[in-house]
Amino acid sequence: MHALIIDDSRTMRRILRRTVADLGFDATEAEHGQEALDHLEDGLVPDICLIDWNMPVMDGYTFVTKVRADERWRGVTLMMVTTESEHGRIVKALAAGAHEYVIKPFTPDAIAEKLELLGLVPGEVPA
Amino acid sequence: MTATIDIGLADVQMLVEEVWTSFLGADEPVLPAIEPGTPGGWSAAVTISGGWEAQCTVWLTEGGARAVTARMLMCDEADVTDDDLRDALGELVNMVGGNVKSLAASTASLSLPLVGHGDLTPASHLDEVVRLDLTWLGDPVRVSVHTPPEGADR
Repeated sequence: MHALIIDDSRTMRRILRRTVADLGFDATEAEHGQEALDHLEDGLVPDICLIDWNMPVMDGYTFVTKVRADERWRGVTLMMVTTESEHGRIVKALAAGAHEYVIKPFTPDAIAEKLELLGLVPGEVPA
Repeated sequence: MTATIDIGLADVQMLVEEVWTSFLGADEPVLPAIEPGTPGGWSAAVTISGGWEAQCTVWLTEGGARAVTARMLMCDEADVTDDDLRDALGELVNMVGGNVKSLAASTASLSLPLVGHGDLTPASHLDEVVRLDLTWLGDPVRVSVHTPPEGADR
């Protein structure tokens, strides 16, 4: 599994990389939406993109709309990971094509649960 | 036109504790300071504008800022650079400010964070409406929210 982590904070990228690495993911990082789009144009095929909202150059919402507008990336799962917690923003992102939405601060378990819901990590086997 | 919104001390304290616990660990919680100290050292701020205007600022001592950064990056404090510190404190105040914005329940925008060595004094037209004097690992931490005075011309 491969994750594309898109956040202008190097600290947050490292935290997310560590979180998904514990779940068996390799990761590529991008500082903003345009750099992430460049990775996709260069042929990167991530299983999931973890996307901040507020970033310079290209924000996360714009990235989502651009990815969803392109047939080539139809299979990429998109998950917002952001401090933006207003209901309207959440609805806007989901309507644009994001599959899931995580509000910062998060715990590693919260990320794991979302990835499990998306079928990207195996769920716990019931006792 | 911007809204006037009461932000409660308890609400801000709860969200600061949540940010601290999520990213710095539950074993060393941030606690109310019995005797407020002066953090000095570093400060980080984000502004909220649009439907509601405010500035959220976090102050930390030099040692506290390095400890926060080392915890977030899971590295030794000796390996923390000033660039690391700016980035980590920026993300910290981004989470605090983003959640304060959510308390206002208005359509507003959050700025990118500003981090500096020293005091990022809020704009002179803003009044302090919340001040949390806290302590973490024995170091003073201050979190404040500034908003325009009620009835101010906006």
